[in-house]
Amino acid sequence: MATEQGHTGESGGLIARAGTWTENLSEQAYAYLLLTPGFLILLLMAFWPLGSAFRMSFFADQVVGTGRLGGFAGLENYVRLLTDTNALAPATFLDPSFQVPLLEQALFMTLLFAILSVVGETILGFLYAMLMKAEYRGRRAVRVLIIIPWAIPIVIQGMIFFLMFRPGYGLLTDPLQSIGLFSSLPLNTTFDGFVIVTVADVWKTSAFMALLILAGLESVNQDLYNVADVMGASRWQRFRYITFPLVFPVLMVAMLFRTMGALRVYGIIESTGVGCTTVPSMTCLVTQFMFGSSALYGSAAAASVLIAVVVGLFISVYLVFIKMSNQDLDLA
Amino acid sequence: MSIDAQTHEDAETFDDRDDEESKSPIKQWADDWIRNPEKAYAVMLVFMGGVLLTTTLFPLYWLFAVAMAEPGQSNIPLIPNQIDLSAFIVIFQQVPFARFMFNSLFYATSVTVIVLLVASLAGYAFGRLDFRGKMPLLFSLLVLSFFPPATLFIPLFRAFNQQVPMLGVFTLPVELYRTPGAVIAPISAFAMPLAIFILTTFYSQIPDGLEDAARIEGTTRFGALFRVIVPLSAPGVATAGILTFITTYVEFFFSFLMTGDRASDWAPIVNGVLAFQTRYTTRYDLQAAASLVAIIPVAILVVVAQEKIISGLTQGALKE
Repeated sequence: MATEQGHTGESGGLIARAGTWTENLSEQAYAYLLLTPGFLILLLMAFWPLGSAFRMSFFADQVVGTGRLGGFAGLENYVRLLTDTNALAPATFLDPSFQVPLLEQALFMTLLFAILSVVGETILGFLYAMLMKAEYRGRRAVRVLIIIPWAIPIVIQGMIFFLMFRPGYGLLTDPLQSIGLFSSLPLNTTFDGFVIVTVADVWKTSAFMALLILAGLESVNQDLYNVADVMGASRWQRFRYITFPLVFPVLMVAMLFRTMGALRVYGIIESTGVGCTTVPSMTCLVTQFMFGSSALYGSAAAASVLIAVVVGLFISVYLVFIKMSNQDLDLA
Repeated sequence: MSIDAQTHEDAETFDDRDDEESKSPIKQWADDWIRNPEKAYAVMLVFMGGVLLTTTLFPLYWLFAVAMAEPGQSNIPLIPNQIDLSAFIVIFQQVPFARFMFNSLFYATSVTVIVLLVASLAGYAFGRLDFRGKMPLLFSLLVLSFFPPATLFIPLFRAFNQQVPMLGVFTLPVELYRTPGAVIAPISAFAMPLAIFILTTFYSQIPDGLEDAARIEGTTRFGALFRVIVPLSAPGVATAGILTFITTYVEFFFSFLMTGDRASDWAPIVNGVLAFQTRYTTRYDLQAAASLVAIIPVAILVVVAQEKIISGLTQGALKE
């Protein structure tokens, strides 16, 4: 491990002296000493940016100049985002009057993407996990093949689907067009682009879901299945009364992770060539505000805070649901 | 039923042997499966596995098919007309693709080393020591991991690119942007909470006696951590390391937005693959070849370490 080498390699006098010094610290002080490096990085690279973004979201956009912030504007950035009244906005976040199609509203597009992709990934992930768990020859190879898409860089994942759907080039464009499912320019059409991005995401991240679910399946006590066999339980009963309830908590955690990931979708939209203008996700909106024709930092910060709020709402829903279902399972 | 069994005398001992001969093959299978359901499940498993693996692998095969195509060719055939590996050489000539790959691997390795080292210290404190403020600090990590990178990104971009003071106190030097630090630092912070959680779980499972024994023999506190706790938690350290490495290697957001476009500016694979798109618009075969090459390092890692990834996640990460 790199960590060991780093320390045993340079066992100089300085390290030794520091070592003796730490011997005399109380447990409490030693704990804080150990936490210092980690929290220093987090303070600079995470806690401070969070606070700063939150503060920035209350300041007006400065259109002219070098993209600095304008004066204090209160909740104006948020109001504009939530009522679609920001004339300079590159895309709509939420249009309360629903004049803008749902898929062109960042909030609904992202929610729909998150729901569809997480449902797809959970189903596929469960199947993959069963396949990875079953005992047979060649299981090692199957496991590797299932995991690989998860380890593929997002930009390459995007490239694959770009090459599949590029008009006149990709294999799938013509057949899908001839059955009337896709238009002739799937990468430039909002609905088609949305489908492509969702399929691409399911393809890559089902593997991650499968890994987490497999971890859950492996931790199920095998004795329970022996008991079930003795009692003459069918396959379905084994799944329904042992596997599913015991894997359920892990499944919820895995779905929570994936939902958080799906709500921040950005890379796959850019790299498939679909682009943020065709399929505007919430994170897309942030980058477009920042790098668009005029850098609107206040609005960008407000949009980024709204993403965090949506993620937070989803987490609370999951936590409440996990709590409720745990009670249900106890009763069952 | 194997051919051996049919010719062998023992085959005659199956009581319904003659019946089976007269039935259609489908009927035979059905009967066979009703008698041993396990066999039916095995066949279903193979079928399901085949379908799933095809969906997994087809996109990768498609990359290969595109890489085989002639430059500028449209309507790529499903089966390549020719096996022409020249695209795999051209990518290194037309664009410094090796440098892009080196940059990405450098980022992934640095982030992994930093995160493992720092998260080991924190994981030890959280997993094995009692101190005031432990729960609030752990909780702050959990909350932090919920925030999307987009929220952290704006202030970081301003701090690295526009010299906006960090914490309102100090300014980062101008030279920092387009150096590895501008990518490594934010991704380290982003990957750290998960690594800390995994290592905390693993370190807390080591019996106190082992550490006490080492301490009585005169090992220092740090010595006990790095010579006893870390080696004993090797599966956990490996899992955390592999997860961090892959997370960094596949990362898009910071890699794309915090770097320049050129390989000499420490741009990672993201820009390497996209470089073919802007400059050589028609060379999709090169893009596909470059993509395949860029997958090789992580594919090797997955092949070598899949047991570790699975066992590490099973033993620790999810038992919170």
